[in-house]
Amino acid sequence: MTQLYYISITGKLLNNVEMDQAVENFARRFKLPLEKAQQMIQKAPVILKKGLDEDSALKYQQASKSVGLDCQISKEASQASNSSESLTTSQIISDGKALGEQHDSNQCPKSMPEHQFRYAGKPDYGFVTIDLPANDTIKVEASSMATMDTNIRMKTKLKGGLGRFITGESLFINEFTAENGPGEIGIAPATPGDITHQYLNGNTLFLQNSAFVACSMGVNTETKWQGFTKGFFSGENFFLIKCSGQGDLWFNTYGALIEIDIEDEYVVDTGNIVAFSEGLDYQITKVGGYKSLFFSGEGFVCRFKGRGKLWMQTRGTDAFVNWCQSFRRVESSS
Amino acid sequence: MKTELKGGKAFSYIDIQLEPGEQIMTESDAMSSMDAALELKAEFNGGLFKGLLRKFLGGESLFLSRFSNPTSTPKNLIITQGTPGEIRCIELDNETFYFQPGAFIACEETVTLGLKWAGFVSWIAREGMFKLSVTGHGKVWFGAYGALIDKEIDGEYIVDTSHLVSYGPDIQLKLQLAGGLFSSFFGGEGLVTRLEGKGKVVLQTRSLSGLASWLNPKL
Amino acid sequence: MNIEFLHAPANTVAKVSLKPGEICTAEAGAMMAMSGNTQITTTTYKKSGRGILKGLKRMLAGESFFVNHFEAKNKEAELWLGAAISGDMMQYQLDNESLIVQGSSFLACEHQVEIDLGWQGFKSLLSGESIFWLNLKGSGKVIINAFGAIYPIEVDGEYIVDSGHIVAFNESLNFSITKAGSSWIQSILGGEGLVCKFNGQGTVWCQSHNPSSFGNHLTPELKPIKK
Repeated sequence: MTQLYYISITGKLLNNVEMDQAVENFARRFKLPLEKAQQMIQKAPVILKKGLDEDSALKYQQASKSVGLDCQISKEASQASNSSESLTTSQIISDGKALGEQHDSNQCPKSMPEHQFRYAGKPDYGFVTIDLPANDTIKVEASSMATMDTNIRMKTKLKGGLGRFITGESLFINEFTAENGPGEIGIAPATPGDITHQYLNGNTLFLQNSAFVACSMGVNTETKWQGFTKGFFSGENFFLIKCSGQGDLWFNTYGALIEIDIEDEYVVDTGNIVAFSEGLDYQITKVGGYKSLFFSGEGFVCRFKGRGKLWMQTRGTDAFVNWCQSFRRVESSS
Repeated sequence: MKTELKGGKAFSYIDIQLEPGEQIMTESDAMSSMDAALELKAEFNGGLFKGLLRKFLGGESLFLSRFSNPTSTPKNLIITQGTPGEIRCIELDNETFYFQPGAFIACEETVTLGLKWAGFVSWIAREGMFKLSVTGHGKVWFGAYGALIDKEIDGEYIVDTSHLVSYGPDIQLKLQLAGGLFSSFFGGEGLVTRLEGKGKVVLQTRSLSGLASWLNPKL
Repeated sequence: MNIEFLHAPANTVAKVSLKPGEICTAEAGAMMAMSGNTQITTTTYKKSGRGILKGLKRMLAGESFFVNHFEAKNKEAELWLGAAISGDMMQYQLDNESLIVQGSSFLACEHQVEIDLGWQGFKSLLSGESIFWLNLKGSGKVIINAFGAIYPIEVDGEYIVDSGHIVAFNESLNFSITKAGSSWIQSILGGEGLVCKFNGQGTVWCQSHNPSSFGNHLTPELKPIKK
């Protein structure tokens, strides 16, 4: 049996952080209502979370330190190996430990996600059901909710970003909160394809703008404009979302998902890019000469250099959009 | 009749071997390929009047196709659905199930298809005024755009209206706004269906309206 | 040229491995990704069906059909090919024969295979699907894509395939446009309309789903074109 730890906040503040700021950060980071956060700090020393293994304990320590709260890791005397026990006893924090369940061809996430979730319909029509602990909030792409428990409340925020609006994505992002108890929410992306998850732990991921599905509150999403020449003429409306911070991120692909580890140089059609890690140098170029640009059908491609990870999708948006043009009804304006 | 579901979850289709004298009912235009010796007859979907109702208010087709084997050897028939996605087969044992418009694909001749009033709620939720009911004994094939998920409801649950495929007879559908007034319209969710009751529900993981709303700004 | 299919049947991609000097001919727009040392040349084949840029509008002869030739320079190259309308893919080894392929189903082939247009084009217009047929001749590997899963039917006698579901067939088969069942009215009311009847001996490859049916399902949801 592995040694388990519990982490407690001592009540001391670090780094000249003001009490107000610390309370706010603490509340936001650990998803507590403000009064609860304040209460905890005032009542300190108080146990934050029990039943953690070493890694998780260190993660919690990092998290509380980042909000300016001093904390302490202590060894637990009894071997409480079931994390769900600590969940019921600590009515406080959201579950930080679970791994997604195995489901058909779905894989276990490689790093520890913040939320418990399970997939369905993978890999062709990927669908994810996320378990929200009580009072937890999650950000979801507009129109993606398919199912949810009745105690989940939705709020719409104008967080899409102007860039997304120009490319036809939604300006809005919904925030779903589980009120008065835990709840589950089923999310279905609009396009047929796969869905996958990455746990961001301080690293950054660049996401193609229509690939975003959902993320936990600790992840920041910023729309990045690729510059006039780089992005505008690419035809794929090459706006990227820069995701950083700490938390879960779910994104979908249009088509199947292919992961490529880039070691040196790789050329990818811009319409097939889903996401790539920070650290890759990229350049948007035409394929061949100008003749190729207009006739080859390839248009713009992205040349990646360096080392990093690239997620590719097997379908290109433009091609499908062109195909369905012929099915639109023609309305004569009279 | 020997049937096999092929094509994986993404492009499910039904491979059928019809024995001499056997028949199968399918929705219009479901045939992908068939042995030239098989007979095809179009029938009104529950009689002319009901058929018209079904078409204009229920989203189903006016006709049903009846394939039969007049020869003395088994013949092959491949049936599919208009949209890509998963197809499932359930074996009814004197029970009833309700289907959303477009979900029905085929059934054995011992199954009865009926049209039931779905209520205004259903109509406002753009799911059609009528729901298709299947009763009796035998196999029913249904499918939808996307993969299919089973769920057991006991109490209440909220489903985005375009993701519901079929539900058991003891479940009621009610409508509600997804969030506040602002959220519901700008958040893209609009009206959602509240399921109340106990029983089995089948959901689809994609929706045509979802796909179209993703496409429309790009057109 | 080595071909590997991944993610079949829903979102099949073809991973083509080229040895230095080998050339792969692919339809315009099929390239998803390729290694840095691949060179592309674009040529046109006259009087043939479609390009991705034009969508699925089938024009009469006179349109150009652009193809790209990918050559591996200096060392081995990897080429990922995908289709506009995703579905299953298959590869076929032509052995000095002809394979008739639906225009939008052609994805790629080895450089030496001949691509020709217009086999029985008039008949296909009648079938209402306005499909163009390509005639692939010679020897070499060919990659075919489809909408849906691809299944082969060994014809020995007569077999009917709904016209929107035909992907490819051996030239040795005869085909005619006909009704499904014994009555014209039944065929039309049954939603089948005109279908293709194959007779003789050979293989027909069919796709499980019909792009037009899917498009028609989408039509009520799509934004109409205002003229």
